[in-house]
Amino acid sequence: MSTTDFGVTGLTCNHCVMTVSRAAALVPGVTGVSIDLVANGQSTLHVESDAAVDAVALDKAIVEAGYELVH
Amino acid sequence: MSTTHVDLALEGMTCATCAGRIEGALAAVPGVIATVNFATERASVEIDGVTDATVLIAAITKVGYGARVIDREQRETEAPVDPVLTARVIVSLALATPVFLMSMIPAWQFDGFQWVAAALTTPIVTWGAWPFHRAAIRNARHGATTMDTLVSLGVAVAYLWSMYALFFTMAGMIGMRMDLALFGYSPHSLYFESAAVVTAFVLLGRLLESSSKRAAKMSLTALLNTAAKQAILLIDGREVTVPAGAVQKGDTFVVLAGGIVPTDGRIIEGQSAIDASAVTGESVPVPVGVGSTLIGGTINAGGRLVVEATAVGAGTELARLTQMVEEAQAGKAPVQKLVDRISAVFVPLVIVAAVAGGIVWFAITGDATHAVSIAAATLVVACPCALGLATPMALLAGTGRGARSGIIIRGTDVLESTRRVTTVVVDKTGTLTSGHPSVVDVLGDGVSADTVLGEAARVEMGTDHPLARAVVAEATTRGVMGDVARGIVAEPGRGVTGTLGTTVIRAGSLEWLAETSHAVPTSIVAAAADWTSAGRSLVAVAHGDRVVGLIAISDVIKPSASVAIRALSKLGIRTVMASGDNAAVAEVVAHEVGIDEFYGAMNPADKRDLIARLQQRGEVVAMVGDGINDAAALAQADLGIAMGHGTDVAIETSDIVLVSTDLRRVADAIRLSRSTLGTIRGNLVWAFGYNAIAIPIALAGVMGPAVAGLAMAFSSVFVVLNSARLATFRTS
Repeated sequence: MSTTDFGVTGLTCNHCVMTVSRAAALVPGVTGVSIDLVANGQSTLHVESDAAVDAVALDKAIVEAGYELVH
Repeated sequence: MSTTHVDLALEGMTCATCAGRIEGALAAVPGVIATVNFATERASVEIDGVTDATVLIAAITKVGYGARVIDREQRETEAPVDPVLTARVIVSLALATPVFLMSMIPAWQFDGFQWVAAALTTPIVTWGAWPFHRAAIRNARHGATTMDTLVSLGVAVAYLWSMYALFFTMAGMIGMRMDLALFGYSPHSLYFESAAVVTAFVLLGRLLESSSKRAAKMSLTALLNTAAKQAILLIDGREVTVPAGAVQKGDTFVVLAGGIVPTDGRIIEGQSAIDASAVTGESVPVPVGVGSTLIGGTINAGGRLVVEATAVGAGTELARLTQMVEEAQAGKAPVQKLVDRISAVFVPLVIVAAVAGGIVWFAITGDATHAVSIAAATLVVACPCALGLATPMALLAGTGRGARSGIIIRGTDVLESTRRVTTVVVDKTGTLTSGHPSVVDVLGDGVSADTVLGEAARVEMGTDHPLARAVVAEATTRGVMGDVARGIVAEPGRGVTGTLGTTVIRAGSLEWLAETSHAVPTSIVAAAADWTSAGRSLVAVAHGDRVVGLIAISDVIKPSASVAIRALSKLGIRTVMASGDNAAVAEVVAHEVGIDEFYGAMNPADKRDLIARLQQRGEVVAMVGDGINDAAALAQADLGIAMGHGTDVAIETSDIVLVSTDLRRVADAIRLSRSTLGTIRGNLVWAFGYNAIAIPIALAGVMGPAVAGLAMAFSSVFVVLNSARLATFRTS
């Protein structure tokens, strides 16, 4: 079990938090998701997983949801 | 045509009349139905058709107020203390103190003191009193007069006249001393101290009031926070922890033992008991299994459940309750401040008197300056500075006294309502009763009651079911608790099996034991029938296949309950009980404590409707409750009283919170609110009274310069002392 933090941009409100959480949860291997919202800034996405997170799949999922992962 | 709902946050309302005006402006927009809540500064608007929010905001702006749309997802979480108001109070008080002292104490009047007073007063009457001027101008546009008008007018006239006198009469001479004679005309009176002190005191009153109003604003955010923060989603057999809001309709999620159900759903796997006391008020957990529906916000008291989400977000039961509370609050007629009601009549009269007095004096003397000075003196003396303190001082004293006895008065607005409570509606669970199931009776057949209790406790030891906890607690109290049984197996919703020595002991529902046992002894069947009809929950105990005992568990009535109900009756108040539990349980409790009228099996909407019905009958209703299920009723009631151990929502939607669980405080709270209102009225009578006496003196042209100051001092001292009497209020 490990937690990896990612920066996400484009979040403005709680609604975005839910959308991004859901998108991240659907990525295989993920066991937990939480987000510290910084509206209109860079929010932090905490992803818990048993093995290392598939960063490519996560990136794809976030972009599809309409947000951006900071690299 | 479709109907949409918009919530607007309003700015600039100073009194209930403003609320009415905004409502009128919104109603003038075609296809719009609106309710304006003065206390929460909100407008709740139903739009039929194509009108959008910008049209509504434009309509509100046109009548002189501000508005913006509230996003339901993003309610403001807090309204900070207005830092500008705080600054106005501090600066005004600091500057007004020397002005008052040098004006009232001849010995401190140094050469040229009047120019210093003028300099110190200028920022007070311009920047400090700006909120009053602004409100007065806004009111004037609608031909309305409130307390703001009186303050603004009094302060402006006092200041402008004094400045005129300073520059154009001998009042400006260096070495002038203020004449402190009570009677006699002086053409060069200065009223700087009046302008300064009135502004400072009324501002201080505003600040005291705003702190109580702010607390009320926090109310609804708490309701949303009651829901679970996190949910465990089941995605392709994988458990993922996500924020609760991410769950969508049709998703499958897991609720662990002890966890909060994140949203409404239907069980597709597992068995457990659900503690819904916070939401529905039922005191004993309900067994649930596959197919049972769950309400978000309830607690899973038993085993792991797999649930399919049937409603999320705005569609959930909890969201429905939130909306119900909002509607009840928005529908509530705002309480117009007593002081504004009086001002609405008083101010026009004073203006007419001042103008008429001026005209008469001009006709008699032909001296314009003299006539204006009479009119000015009349307006100045009419604005009592105690006016700004009358309500806040009484509220402060009342709330302070209450706090010492564990009565927290939150909604001070309701204390200004002139209506007296005639009916008190009380919730049962957690209000009349302790809210925790306890063992109330034990029966043994062939064995002692203690044996039954001890054995049941020893097999139920590891179970986290509230009934089991009640059994273990009672066994421990009676000292009959032994070692935990071996080989404990729990069958959720039915009971527990374990072995003590060589005997297999089972404890659980009587139906479950009856299925697998020989005949149940008649004594136990009879007791079961009696106890069930009395609304008690049962735990049966069996040795092998023989049922040997029965334990009755029930929510116990608080010792203070019947005393409290009697105290309310003594105040001439009718008592009504509204319970979420079934009618049988409700009846037992109602009779035991001496309630006048009772209703069982009531859901949150029923409770709210009951109160609305009583109100339609002309009753003024106070509601006492503690659960989320009481929140809508608390908001609907004229006076909402929450028990302090209750849920946040109940506390936030109530007007008064009782810290202790002692129900006698309800009667105390009602008496205290009556006393506080009486004090506010008394204060206002005297605040206006002293000045009303001074008006004819001013009109007669014989008012000495000190009269305004003395009237101010007398009425302020009276208001402070009269309010302090509330400290002697005695609780039962």
